[in-house]
Parts: sequence; structure tokens; C-alpha cells
Amino acid sequence: MTPGEFLALAMFLSFIGLVFTGFPIAWVLGGLAVLFTAIAIVFEIDLGLATGVDWRYSSLVVDRIWGVMENWVMVALPMFILMGLVLDRSGIARDLLTSVARLLGPVRGGLAITITLIGVLLAATTGIIGASVVLLGLLGMPVMLDKGYDRSLAAGTVCAVGTLGILIPPSIMLVLMADRMAMSVGDLFMGAVLPGTLLSLLYIAYLLGVGLLQPSRAPAARGEPIDLGAVLDLVKAIFPAALLILAVLGSIFFGIATPTEASGMGAAGALLLAWMKGVLTPAVLSEVMQETTRTTAFIFAVLLGATAFSLVLRGLGGDELIERALLSLPFEGGGIVICILLATFILGFFLDWIELTLIVLPLVSPVVTGLGFDPVWFTVLFAVCLQTSFLTPPVGLAIFYLRGVAPPGVTVHSIYRGVVPFILIQLFGLLIIFLWPALVTWLPARAFG
Amino acid sequence: MAIRNLPDTRLSRIIDPLLDRVGRAASWLWLVLLLVIVGNVLLRYVFGEGRVELEELQWHLYSLGFLLGLAYAFQADAHIRVDVLSERFSARTRAWLELYGLLLALLPFIALVLVYSLPFVWRSFELSEVSQAAGGLPFRWAIKAALPLGFLLLLLGALSRLSRVWSFLFGAPPEHRP
Repeated sequence: MTPGEFLALAMFLSFIGLVFTGFPIAWVLGGLAVLFTAIAIVFEIDLGLATGVDWRYSSLVVDRIWGVMENWVMVALPMFILMGLVLDRSGIARDLLTSVARLLGPVRGGLAITITLIGVLLAATTGIIGASVVLLGLLGMPVMLDKGYDRSLAAGTVCAVGTLGILIPPSIMLVLMADRMAMSVGDLFMGAVLPGTLLSLLYIAYLLGVGLLQPSRAPAARGEPIDLGAVLDLVKAIFPAALLILAVLGSIFFGIATPTEASGMGAAGALLLAWMKGVLTPAVLSEVMQETTRTTAFIFAVLLGATAFSLVLRGLGGDELIERALLSLPFEGGGIVICILLATFILGFFLDWIELTLIVLPLVSPVVTGLGFDPVWFTVLFAVCLQTSFLTPPVGLAIFYLRGVAPPGVTVHSIYRGVVPFILIQLFGLLIIFLWPALVTWLPARAFG
Repeated sequence: MAIRNLPDTRLSRIIDPLLDRVGRAASWLWLVLLLVIVGNVLLRYVFGEGRVELEELQWHLYSLGFLLGLAYAFQADAHIRVDVLSERFSARTRAWLELYGLLLALLPFIALVLVYSLPFVWRSFELSEVSQAAGGLPFRWAIKAALPLGFLLLLLGALSRLSRVWSFLFGAPPEHRP
């Protein structure tokens, strides 16, 4: 190991250690970049050990930030965030839940399936695990518990669906991943469609199964019988929002609009829906704009910190170190991928997808593509793996967020028990995607010839 | 987890409302950005071609938005923290960690970006740099200047927080602090 690589390792370990101080991750990353530049200079000048990193090198961070500023694709990020927030704050999400619940309520397990469908439709755009789990927890948990659902089943559903949202396009995680991997956002969106659908279908199958085999855990709601009115209500509630999201995805899919344009049109469409619903007051509008600023800013803060961190880590030879370590594993290509996924899974216990996407993904992806694997396939695997890790006790992020908003009586223990079947489903899904890469690569190939 | 009940100081009573106002004002940039995107898409479909300057304006607005947002999010304490462990610490321990974090991580990072971004903007100004694209926007230095501007606001936010953490830890009445 060269002195530089030794410092690179120390830098990465310091990062892992220091995130637990609870200081904002963005600044931990940026601070370590400065600190390790200073240490590298001490190594070079006082110890005579060449490291290749000095202030001149680290000043490149300014050019890198400028690269982020003039990146036109990333403009989609705040616009998708805005779209998600408008759908949430305008009550469109709530309407959807009530009307679908009315339709599916009489089916055993129907309420949990409703949560799954709504989560897939809407959580996609909020993109932050915390936000979607909190939204579904506040919206869905009381309804399910009220109708006599088993606590752990309800909690497990909310955690799993809330994290599934980050995988379903148009998710902002996929926009950021595509940017870091220098691949087309459209390709990655399309690559994630079938795996995301597969996982949601597996969830629904599981919930129907529970309803069938253990009816007491997911009872049918005795409500008004379904009449034409209920169906009309449903169409009225679901149609605009579904149309909006399909239009956004469709225009990217068929090459009609770039992701940036689609995001802007999507946000405009969401505002239009809210305005037609009569809920777009000036107060709501300004609150949504400010929330967009806060969410965008904290994501970009991590992005800037991670840019500085990765720059210095790379300068110290961190990427060669990772590459050598991975290639020296006693496995074939597939085994190396599994090792990377396992490491990601463990890191996902305490880091959100933003840090992992920005720091770990760019470090490992050259190795994986160097081995001849499809980058889109690997990125989707990485994403599903992250999602699984957010669900996993004792420290899964989704569990923490749900604990904060769950109604009294829902213990941590019942959440733990609830997520286990979903983790098994996730691992099964991960295995399928691993064994059949075509599940990911087929759709992008068709969409763009 | 953020530390609750940090005392306000004379400094923070000046800075925090300022950052709040800048952040609220900057938030309307998203609406402008949205209109520019919609306008450009309409132009493309009605007249067959979009405008390069509108496309460039989009990332100008977006980068201005997130850079001005940094300090706003900081002041509102919206930045992601991992609080698995730290939520069990006492308020005092958390304040100490916050103090070290500000002094050893955030302030050095801000210094790095400020020290090197000012010459970066100055170079662009001296060269009267404009967009490389035909029909692109002039005054490239102006949008480049958004970078030090955003970090300058963040510096103000960091100093305000520092004064509040200091006052919490060392207990001097806030009036005696500059």
C-alpha cells in the first residue's frame, strides 16, 4: 500500500466513524476533504512520502462544483421534487388513498394493497426515504389499524412500500445515479421499470396470500358496497395523477422530451391539477416552493461535500485501492458483484441513498463495467440492494422513520416482525434480477433501438 | 438530531432572519425555472425549435436556486444527519460535537471553496467569458459568482450557529457577545 492509499483508507474509515457524531453528512465529507489534503501535505513535506495531493489539486473542487452547476440534466431534480411535493400537499395523494381504499377495502388484504399502489404511484417523486415512509405511515397506518389489520403487517407494508418508491421512476435517486454513472436518465428509468413492477407484484401477491391464509391479520373492511359512484370517484381521483406520471414517463420513454423537460412539464401539470382542485392558495404555493428549496439544497449540499471528498480520495489513489481489493477477491465476476452488493447492504444500514450513490457507486462501478457487466443492470441491482438494506432491522432507516410517526401501540418489535417477509421478497427479487439481466436491459434496448 | 433550544445571540438575531428572507425569495426561482422550461418546450413544438438561451437560462436558475438554498437549509437545520447514536447523547455532548463539526469540518470546507472560487470568478470576469454555444448567454462570470455568494451566505449561517452553540456551552449572556 502506498502512503496515499493508506491515507485514502484512513479517510474512508474516518467518514464512517464521523457520520455517527450526528453532524450533517455534507459537511463531514467536505471537512474531511480539507483535513486529508492538509495531512497529505504534511506527509509529503515533513515525512518525504509522496501522496500526489496538495492545495493546488484540491482546488479543483471549484471546477467540479462548476461542472454540477452547468449540468443541464440535474435541473430535473428540483422539478421532480416540486412535482412530488405538490401532489402530496394538495391532497391529491390523500384523495387517491381514500377512493382506492373504498374500492379495494372489501378484499381481504385490500387496504395494504391500496397502500402499495399509492406508494408506487406517488412516493416515486418524493424520492427521500424518510418522506415517503412518513407520508404513508401517517396516511395509511391509522386506516389499516382501524380496520383491524395486524400491526406488524401494516408496519411492514408501509416500510417496504415507502422504500420501494425510490426505485420506481421518475425517482430522483435514479436521476442522480444516472448522472454519477454518466448514463442516460431515460435508460436507467426504463431499466428500473420492470424490476420495480416485479417487486410491487410480489408485494401484492404476498398481501393477497396473507389475506387468504390468515384472514384475521388482514380482514376485509365492511364498508358500503361498491356502486357506480365509488367507481366514478375512483376514476376522478386516480385519473389525473396517473395520467400526469404516465405522461412524464411516456414522453421520456418515446423520446418526445428530455428528462429535464419532462420534469418541468410534470411539475407544471401537478400545479395545474392542484389549481383545478382549488387548493393552490398563495400560502400553499409558497410553502411548497420553500420545501423544494430545502430538499434540493440538502441533496446538493451532500453532492458538493461528496464531490470534494471523492476528489481527494481519488487523488490519494482510493479508486485503485478499491479496484485492487475487489479484483483480488477469490471469486469470478458474479462473486465480485455479490461482494459489492453485500458491502452496500451493510453501508445502507446507516447511510441514506444519497451518500451511497455519490461515494460508493462511482468507486465500484468502473470495476464492474470493467468485468463486462451492463452498467444499467448493475445500477438497478445496487438500487434494489440499497432499498433492502433500508428495511433491515435493527437499524434500517425506514424503521426509524416509521417509529417516529407510527400510532401508539406499534412497537419497534412489531415493525421488526413486519418487515421480515418483505426482506425475503426483496432478496428473492434481487436474485431474479441477478440471474436474468434481461429484466433490466430489455426495455431500454426496445425504447431507444 | 438538531440541538433544541439553542439560545439566540445578538449575531444570530441579525443573520438568521436575513438568511430566511433570502431563502424564501430564492424559492420563487423554481417557479421561474418551471415557466422557462414550459416556455421552451412550447416554443419547440409551436415553432419547431427551442432557444439555446432559454436552455442555458434553465441551469443558471437551477444552480442559483440550490446555491442560495444551502444557507437557507442550514439555517432551517434541514441537512441530513445520522442520528442513530447521537440521539442518545446529552444535549451538551451534542453541542460539543456541533462545535467541533463547525470548527473542523464546515468552516474549513467553506474556506476551501471561497479561497479558490474567487479567483475562478475573477478570471472569468477578466476574460469577459461568454457561453461557448451559439446564442448562449453573456456574462458567464455573473453565474459563476453565484458559487462564492452561496458559500458566503453559508459562512454567515455557520457563524450564527457557532455563536449560538458557544453561548449554549459557555453560558455567557448573549448580550455580552459581539
